[in-house]
Amino acid sequence: MKLEICHLYPDVLNLYGDNGNLLCLQKRLSWRGMDSAVTRVPIGETVDFTQFDLFFIGGGQDFEQEVLLSDLSRGKATEIKSAIADGKTFLTICGGYQMLGRSYTTWDGVRCDFIGAIDYETKGAKDRMIGNFAFHCGPESGGSVVAGFENHSGKTYLGPGVQPLGTVLSGSGNNGEDGTEGVRHLNVFGTYSHGPVLPKNPEFADAILRAALERKSPGLALDPIDDTLEHQAHDYMLKRLGL
Amino acid sequence: MNIRAFLGILICRGVKLAAKLLHRGGTAMPGRFAVKVCPDLAAILSKDVRVIMVTGTNGKTTTSRIIEQGLIDSGADYFANRSGANLLSGVTTTLVENSTLFGKAKHKCAVIECDEAAFKTVAPLVQPEVILVTNLFRDQLDRYGEITHTLANIREGILGVPKATVCLNADCSLTASLAGDIPNKCLFYGLGEALGGGEAPAVSDASHCIRCKARYTYQYRTYGHLGHFVCPECGYERPETQLTVTKLLSRDTDSSTVTMEAQGVSRAVRVNLPAVYNIYNAAGAALALTAFGMEPSAAMQCGENFQCGFGRMERFDLNGTAIRMILVKNPAGCDQVIEYLTGLDTAYLPVFLLNDNPADSTDISWIWDADYERFAAGYRGETVVSGIRADEMALRLKYAGIPADQITVEREFDALLQRVSAQDKPVFIIPTYTAMLDIRTRLAHLCGTKEFWE
Repeated sequence: MKLEICHLYPDVLNLYGDNGNLLCLQKRLSWRGMDSAVTRVPIGETVDFTQFDLFFIGGGQDFEQEVLLSDLSRGKATEIKSAIADGKTFLTICGGYQMLGRSYTTWDGVRCDFIGAIDYETKGAKDRMIGNFAFHCGPESGGSVVAGFENHSGKTYLGPGVQPLGTVLSGSGNNGEDGTEGVRHLNVFGTYSHGPVLPKNPEFADAILRAALERKSPGLALDPIDDTLEHQAHDYMLKRLGL
Repeated sequence: MNIRAFLGILICRGVKLAAKLLHRGGTAMPGRFAVKVCPDLAAILSKDVRVIMVTGTNGKTTTSRIIEQGLIDSGADYFANRSGANLLSGVTTTLVENSTLFGKAKHKCAVIECDEAAFKTVAPLVQPEVILVTNLFRDQLDRYGEITHTLANIREGILGVPKATVCLNADCSLTASLAGDIPNKCLFYGLGEALGGGEAPAVSDASHCIRCKARYTYQYRTYGHLGHFVCPECGYERPETQLTVTKLLSRDTDSSTVTMEAQGVSRAVRVNLPAVYNIYNAAGAALALTAFGMEPSAAMQCGENFQCGFGRMERFDLNGTAIRMILVKNPAGCDQVIEYLTGLDTAYLPVFLLNDNPADSTDISWIWDADYERFAAGYRGETVVSGIRADEMALRLKYAGIPADQITVEREFDALLQRVSAQDKPVFIIPTYTAMLDIRTRLAHLCGTKEFWE
């Protein structure tokens, strides 16, 4: 079994250690005797998206996000949308998560169209939402409690009927108002959680792997592995957040 | 001098005395009170002082100490602030300490290290004669926002000091770009060839042109995003340097010997600290001293007599165990330390301390951008982790490839130091900032070294 992973825009969306998520996914596969390969797809490169099982898109700086929009409009936006509709698994973080929504409006009213793969929009706020936070994943995402670090000024509002990834237990999540965090749509997992989020949330990492493996090879089980250090880091943060 | 300034000085001295009586160190608090009474106290007290100010992400402290060494060697009458005092409050405290009660400067010159976020406020007040910007890397993003924001802060600070001579790292595309936006006289320093590892980093802090957003190409790289960058679109490239490290003659675990060239003078210089980033620090210090009026040949020599300290390759001897402490603050600095460790040919015990206090960065995700894989590939044996986020550090090392059963989590610093003192091989302690302050205080107590505020 080999999982083909696409790392989209590693050249610009590479902030806050989010690449640690890829490392985590790959290690958790290899510890179970499964194989994986990561293909980096930077700005300006075109590849056949149908060859991939899992897509990863991280967060970036505002300065660099402008570069990206013109590249998306040259075909990648369409390819991303068909991959999502095709049931491919996506893990998107912060800027990468916002990018799959309809738009981003800055706090002073400048609107920027994103790819609109899922019905949600983001509005810039003057204050950043920064800090350790935690949320409870819905059952369709493994049902675990996820501890991470958020750092965003954009407030994301999900459209009617769009499922969040989870419910905020501590911190702000999507917008600090409606208690939702992230998005869950087909096999897309979108979140504001940096950290990186996966290493100390092994159940969540496995939920993502399961989604990707299930589509490729239905019924394949993930063997349990020793997650002692993972749980120690996870439990420490929950305790600190008073959970 | 006005009455507010006089009051400010009195308050600053009073608070400092009170803190001392309570056996509390503290370089920032006295100045914080003084600034409340007299916001421009720093301007008043530095009026007759010739200042070299150092800012940038990495190497501020080491570079300032090398410059200090240059001033000592030349017999200059100077004072300097300490790294813990590099915000407006700390700089003000330092200035008060080096003035009379009536605000007259006790010394002619000063070396002031300044935090890059505080720089936009501090520089226009202090009006330095020479400004040195070492480099810009991603650092403490939760505090400063994004790297371009830090760059804007520094630019704003320099715009408030149009007469200063500005020394910039030519190999850093972000730092060097400042020259186009300021009216000041600019001088550049850099490495003339790829003296570092020369490989492209996994994550570059500046892969795209700051001016036109095209992807840079490199004639050579030194480390991180540093090197001879060229933008193929708009033509922005590494500027010509007025002080150049032209050749690496030799390097070992304690020092590097290089050839430096400036104003037609070329000489071999031993930089009394290991690793490539310290070659940059010595070169930057030499250029700043030249801009300050020192002869190039003498300025280049300043790295030779330099002794490291305060967590920067600082040495301790704990009951016969040799300890080196190397502060890390961000991925670029961490990668340089890892390169240094992997080059060692002796057995050693590595101890990684990870704290997440505001001064360390509350976001510890940067450890996942640092190349611990490289460390894990070359290291066999026990690794010890400690600090507030010891668990996360353990996890990072596990994912980097260190077997979980070789990672020891030792939460308490006192127990950690007991373990360290029982070692028969050298120990490298690699702490974040507040972990360094904490463990250094305990170590200094055990080894009898002076506290830094004394």
